[in-house]
Amino acid sequence: MSELSVESHEREGVVLLYPSGFINAHTVRLFEGALQKALDGGCYQIVVSGVGLRYVASAGLGALMGVIEEVRTNGGDIRLAELNETVRNIFEMLGFNHLYRIFPSEQEAVLSFREASGRGRAPA
Amino acid sequence: MTEKRRRPQPDVLLRVPSGTEFLAAIRDTTKRVAELAGLDAATAEQVALAVDEASTNVIEHAYGGARDRFVDLAFTCEPDALLVEIVDDGRPVDRSAVPRVDLRRYARERRRGGFGMHLMGRIMDRVSFRRRGRSNVCCMVKKLPAAEGREAR
Repeated sequence: MSELSVESHEREGVVLLYPSGFINAHTVRLFEGALQKALDGGCYQIVVSGVGLRYVASAGLGALMGVIEEVRTNGGDIRLAELNETVRNIFEMLGFNHLYRIFPSEQEAVLSFREASGRGRAPA
Repeated sequence: MTEKRRRPQPDVLLRVPSGTEFLAAIRDTTKRVAELAGLDAATAEQVALAVDEASTNVIEHAYGGARDRFVDLAFTCEPDALLVEIVDDGRPVDRSAVPRVDLRRYARERRRGGFGMHLMGRIMDRVSFRRRGRSNVCCMVKKLPAAEGREAR
């Protein structure tokens, strides 16, 4: 069984990525590829759903950091949703919760792109 | 396991080839050993992450991606702490300075690396590096809950 799969869907102009499994140095290329595919398609509003994400190592955090400037320069953002406690702790340990908005649900993350003020945790 | 008072001894030895596909085995083994040592599941998961990061550094930096080498891990459950040694015979890498992570600068510079060492330092109670003969040795220590309770008193 593969350690990681990444499904991608589009809803209301927002690309939803569903990494399922583990993101580490071995699997990160697949996650980077999914992010890059969205950017190549001109989609800069991205929600990464952690509903199937069991674990993320620094390689996965690096993948997000590597593209966030390009995404925001183009008026978009990468928002996170439904992170389990393990993954959320890792994000908070590095202060990623100050750089990325994290939402309890995928729906709230998608809607935040349509609303002036989302209800997720705002970056500092 | 936490009641042992005899001399410390490696409880688990693990040798894996220097390919990232073996990181899952390292993570799974570390998590199980950490739980057996007395850490709760969430903390054991974090310790597994720290060991994953240290092993990734070995594969990517000390071995420069070479896949024909080995990463040796030794887990020792002491009465008050879990010790993990990660040993390689790759090129010496200076890890004396743990970089301070400036996320906004990293984002501007589109940096994808530099977080692993920081995570190791945040998760473990002690992280140290030394040369032993021709080997690099990364030693990480995680205190067990009972030891932390004793210190608090």
